[in-house]
Amino acid sequence: MDTFVGQGRAAIDFIIDEGSFKENQIDSFVIEDETFGPGAVIGTASVNNETATIIANDAMVFNEKFPVVFAGVIGMEEGYKMALAVYNTIKADADKPLDKKRPIILVVDTPGNGPGKVEEIFGMNKSTGAYQLALAEARKTGHPIVAMVVGRAISGAFLCHGLQADHILSLTKDFNVMIHVMPLTSIARITKQNIERLEELSTSNPVFAAGAEFFYKLGGVQELVSDDAKMRETVQAHIAQIRELKQAGRNEELGPWGRGLVGAEREGRIVRMEVIKKMQQEFDAVADKLISA
Amino acid sequence: MSKWNELQDKSFLESTARQRALGLVDEGSFTEFIAPVDRISSPHLPVLGEAIEFDDGIVTGVGLIGKKPVFVVSQEGKFIGGSIGEVSGAKMVNTIKLAVELYDKMKAQNPDLPEEKRPAVVISYETGGVRLHEANAGLLAHAEVMDQFQNARGKVPIISVIGSKVGCFGGMGFVAAATDVIVMSEFGRLGLTGPEVIEQEMGKDEFNADDKSLVFRTTGGKHKYIMQDCNFLVADKIGSFRKQISDICSMTMDEIVKFRRIGSEELVKEQVELVALAAELNPSDSRDVWKHFGNENPEALTDMPLEDFLKTAKRYPKKGL
Repeated sequence: MDTFVGQGRAAIDFIIDEGSFKENQIDSFVIEDETFGPGAVIGTASVNNETATIIANDAMVFNEKFPVVFAGVIGMEEGYKMALAVYNTIKADADKPLDKKRPIILVVDTPGNGPGKVEEIFGMNKSTGAYQLALAEARKTGHPIVAMVVGRAISGAFLCHGLQADHILSLTKDFNVMIHVMPLTSIARITKQNIERLEELSTSNPVFAAGAEFFYKLGGVQELVSDDAKMRETVQAHIAQIRELKQAGRNEELGPWGRGLVGAEREGRIVRMEVIKKMQQEFDAVADKLISA
Repeated sequence: MSKWNELQDKSFLESTARQRALGLVDEGSFTEFIAPVDRISSPHLPVLGEAIEFDDGIVTGVGLIGKKPVFVVSQEGKFIGGSIGEVSGAKMVNTIKLAVELYDKMKAQNPDLPEEKRPAVVISYETGGVRLHEANAGLLAHAEVMDQFQNARGKVPIISVIGSKVGCFGGMGFVAAATDVIVMSEFGRLGLTGPEVIEQEMGKDEFNADDKSLVFRTTGGKHKYIMQDCNFLVADKIGSFRKQISDICSMTMDEIVKFRRIGSEELVKEQVELVALAAELNPSDSRDVWKHFGNENPEALTDMPLEDFLKTAKRYPKKGL
């Protein structure tokens, strides 16, 4: 396909075993109300003959109860629906050993979180926060989580759906993938900088520029995938890698903290590590005093 | 009177990040980490011709409340809106990480670690979230904060305090929601999407961002208190926040987790019910929701003095854990 923007469901088929997707079902957990969080697609599929939880966005539907939810926006219902999918994944494998915890695959194509008045009155912040905590818990429980960015991964919506994964993969810009907080034109306006100058700066400093390639440099994307037919095998390879690291107890190399390490390695985020090291020294100097207080 | 005593009486709203950090813990107990003297500032701002601050707009460190080590993160709204960049983000993330590290160390030395010694984290927000000048690094730091919160679960209580001018919005809006306890003053504001963006999305007729009263009714401390999205509403004094934090610090971890609104399947199920209520009521104003929870005269609550408000206001009957 030329692009998967708006095509979250189609992208699922490029990742899972053919015809294996069972929507709204994770083990014994079933969502019967089809009007609940329609912008979020959750379910179970087999991936390389193994059971996996799939969480994606549906950009083609509109949530009639919450009109700000369309085009792949994650609204209050959507965020909680995704969180429930994760909690039920943890529950389903609660008794299984580390190497048998099922993977969770996030297929990412979302432009934002629900930006409305009702959303603020009832607390959209809780919905996106709930989903992130659920993913963090699943990751730390041992489930390998891979996020595959196929379309839009914009700002808070990317934090919600993607940035708590163990590894994040992204299609390249040839597929019109968009990873950013804001487009460079908006950043230029807000920071009162010349757009040409910003474009020039972004080639040497990836810290504000829009695009998967820049996130790669910062450690925010583990691997870029340039061929959509390779998504399946790349996702599988990362599931295997993640599992190996988890079994070896190397959790610190995964997830958001791991991305910090990769960002330093790729020289996209250097100062972060300086801060952490310096702070550790300052803390060590007072730790005993704190313990004996 | 000592400087610390003066701070206790100072308006929280008017205070700087450093005043809040110093005043929220015991007198003279605060040690700052990556203080201005360390001279670690944003390398990205000068490239864009922007001024820097030697603390990058965030004060981090540790103090004591009684015998309890209390790690503090305090954001400064006067510096680029308290926004999170690579340095300020790393300071915040690592402060939480060190609190958990200290807990693990203390627990290893003393398996019967008394509650009064259990470390805690206090975060004083004044921010709109990601700093656009270094947006990608700021975004990634938000995810790291959430990751550290999950590491702290059941070990180190995370206490959010919100009562500063900028409020707590953007990514930091869900960061605060993900903590154990939230303390606000009525001047504190908490949300995800800032008022201007809602106006832009919905039109001025639906949401006028210049209408300060509307903005406070939607995201302010009193509203969040009624919704149980803020656990404690206190007076606008550093000392009042400090007293509340100190009370929370005297509770056990088991008692503290009961203040949570998200973070487990049970809590999410309760929030789903609340969202169903949102769909059913389809409120055009927070006051419709206040009324639904039994506040017969919601208009009167807005300007009611704090003490009367706390006695009068009927809150969402949270089931909790």
